[in-house]
Amino acid sequence: MSIKKIAALVSAGRHPVSGEARHCRNDSLAMSIGLTLTKKINAISTNASITNQTSLRVMHAGNPDNAALKDYLALGAKHIDVIALTAECNIIDSLANELTNTDLILTGSRAENGQDSGLVPYLLAEKLGFSLVANVLEVKLIPEGLEVLQFLPKGKRRSIIVQLPAVVIVHPLAPVELRHAYAQQVMGKVSQQQSLPFKPVTDQDNSLQWQKQSTLRKPIKLKARENKSGHARMLSATVSENKGGAVVIDGDSVEKAQVILRYLREHRLINF
Amino acid sequence: MIENNPRRINPRRAYEILASGVKRIVLGATTDFVAHEVALQHSTNKPLRTPKQAKTHILVVAHSDRGTLDDHAKQCLAAAAILAEANTAVVALILGELHEELSNAGADEVLVIAELDYAKFQPESELSCVKAMVDVLQPSHIFMPDNLIGDGDLGRRLITSHPEKLAATHVIELNVDHIANYQSGGSALALANLPFIVLLAPETADTNLPFSASALTLDQALAHPVKDKVQPSNYIGLGMQTIAAAKIALEEADFIVSAGNGVSNVQTLQTLAAALDAAVGASRVAVDDGKFARDKQIGATGKTVSASTYFAIGISGAVQHLQGIKDCRHVIAINRDHSAAIVKRANLSLIGDAEEIMQALIAVITEAKLATQEAA
Ligand SMILES: Cc1cc2nc3c(=O)[nH]c(=O)nc-3n(C[C@H](O)[C@H](O)[C@H](O)COP(=O)(O)OP(=O)(O)OC[C@H]3O[C@@H](n4cnc5c(N)ncnc54)[C@H](O)[C@@H]3O)c2cc1C
Ligand SMILES: Nc1ncnc2c1ncn2[C@@H]1O[C@H](COP(=O)(O)O)[C@@H](O)[C@H]1O
Repeated sequence: MSIKKIAALVSAGRHPVSGEARHCRNDSLAMSIGLTLTKKINAISTNASITNQTSLRVMHAGNPDNAALKDYLALGAKHIDVIALTAECNIIDSLANELTNTDLILTGSRAENGQDSGLVPYLLAEKLGFSLVANVLEVKLIPEGLEVLQFLPKGKRRSIIVQLPAVVIVHPLAPVELRHAYAQQVMGKVSQQQSLPFKPVTDQDNSLQWQKQSTLRKPIKLKARENKSGHARMLSATVSENKGGAVVIDGDSVEKAQVILRYLREHRLINF
Repeated sequence: MIENNPRRINPRRAYEILASGVKRIVLGATTDFVAHEVALQHSTNKPLRTPKQAKTHILVVAHSDRGTLDDHAKQCLAAAAILAEANTAVVALILGELHEELSNAGADEVLVIAELDYAKFQPESELSCVKAMVDVLQPSHIFMPDNLIGDGDLGRRLITSHPEKLAATHVIELNVDHIANYQSGGSALALANLPFIVLLAPETADTNLPFSASALTLDQALAHPVKDKVQPSNYIGLGMQTIAAAKIALEEADFIVSAGNGVSNVQTLQTLAAALDAAVGASRVAVDDGKFARDKQIGATGKTVSASTYFAIGISGAVQHLQGIKDCRHVIAINRDHSAAIVKRANLSLIGDAEEIMQALIAVITEAKLATQEAA
């Protein structure tokens, strides 16, 4: 199975403090992985003519004049396809409509300009019927499709073979070096996709009604309400005060070492 | 000399604690040893919240890690138990093996599906199990941890498969009437009503519950259709790999051996860390002494770590240091001083000389590794 069409989805980022438009780092990582991948594909198919070469399709749904798009050009996109959207249009429908024949869609893990739910790639994969893997650090082409390296916490990584077509969500820790070049920014082009007549989302029933506040505060932790007597409160306060685990004072060093080993084994913290 | 001696009452007379939690002095008893034990027992004996006839359910779905739930998953259970009304039962669907009891975590009923361990990538199977569970249970809400061990991913797949239901991700605050998360790149706090599916960020709920739950195994009639949905995956997993502990950042490490002022021989500590495949950390004093690089410092002015196992050797446990290890699950300490603050924080403390115990431990580990190799 060969990959022909690769797309990367880029959203408009914003600086968390100044609010200035800029690229969204997560999306730039996805785009860079896509650029590297297309370069590799073109290098393998040496006999292909120049016109036959694959190129990464960088797509954005939103305002074509957004200053954030310049950053993506500077970071290596030769061309950005923008689906001009008004606020009421459905991003998923418009993107899905453009991406039906794509083999691989690379996205970031979380946008920075809207609800930032990280749901866009999932909704898109569902709409298109593509397979999906999240938290991807590296992608590699193999005869069966695509092999990806997935991030897991605590220093763990996992390799998975993914059937194409697929949506791949790139993890923020992907080992990609972003290179900003002004020359590329000047050379790159942003073009507006002919916008199809999308039906605006009218029934707002199936989405949550959010109320945004610009004053940030610390979240309040949910605590169980206790209607205990004063005595019980005092008791729990004093009992939790002197909590602590087992203390081993007696015995020689070897015995103590064995206690440690037993503890580690009992809690499955080691595998020997 | 005072003439009419006032009658003195020993304030530490033997007593017992009544069911109401009130202390009752036992006249005539001579020892308070038994009474003390009763008191401790009472403090762990919390009232049961479990509803007798559950009318509605809150479903909590989470992956286990090595047979236990992490704090993040327990916070979701606690949130469900706190928000549950008197006739609402909290049902925990645990994906992966479970070797612990969830009654103090607040689960009324538990279903464990051991096959769906997070170590294997099988999103379709997991999704159809959760969907089957939703069908049989018809919960009022679903809570899941928004984490990277599979629940954040599964939760989003679940949300997309129920487009008619309301959902929220990255939730940092929740209450009976609202939820909140950060939006627009963290520049706005957004509030909404409590939706059907809630993916919770860490630290949204306090896991100290004033009640316990019965944590019964879920009824077979309900569990059966869910277990039936385990199917082979469309993705081919090529297995997990663990990056050598020495190579990953301290924040990501799962096992940290950390040195303080009480460690005289750094080489022994490095050998021990290598034997345990652990990352190396240090207290500020050890770093200031030049024994370790600055990026190894753990604590308020150093790194905050979340390793499952934190091995503190010759560290006194100053608050600034403890701040950096508040998320560590198992703390093991070696210290000469049994009154050191770290002993109160540690799950296991060994009192003695650090160098001697480390040497002994290295020998014991080498022996244990040999034995398992021979057995294999
Ligand atoms: C603003 C501020 C920020 C700080 N930030 C940090 C920080 O980020 N991280 C940090 O770690 N500290 C920090 N500190 C310093 C902190 O207060 C402590 O001074 C420091 O953590 C103590 O390090 P220690 O436990 O290694 O040394 P000590 O306090 O000297 O403790 C050594 C321990 O080792 C034991 N010991 C000694 N010899 C042996 C032996 N042979 N065998 C076994 N046990 C032995 C002793 O009983 C003692 O408990 C900060 C302090 C301030 C004021
Ligand atoms: N308007 C958009 N145009 C193109 N891609 C987008 C857009 N919004 C979101 N995405 C992609 O979807 C990812 C997740 O976004 P979100 O679900 O909004 O947090 C982002 O990192 C982008 O890769």
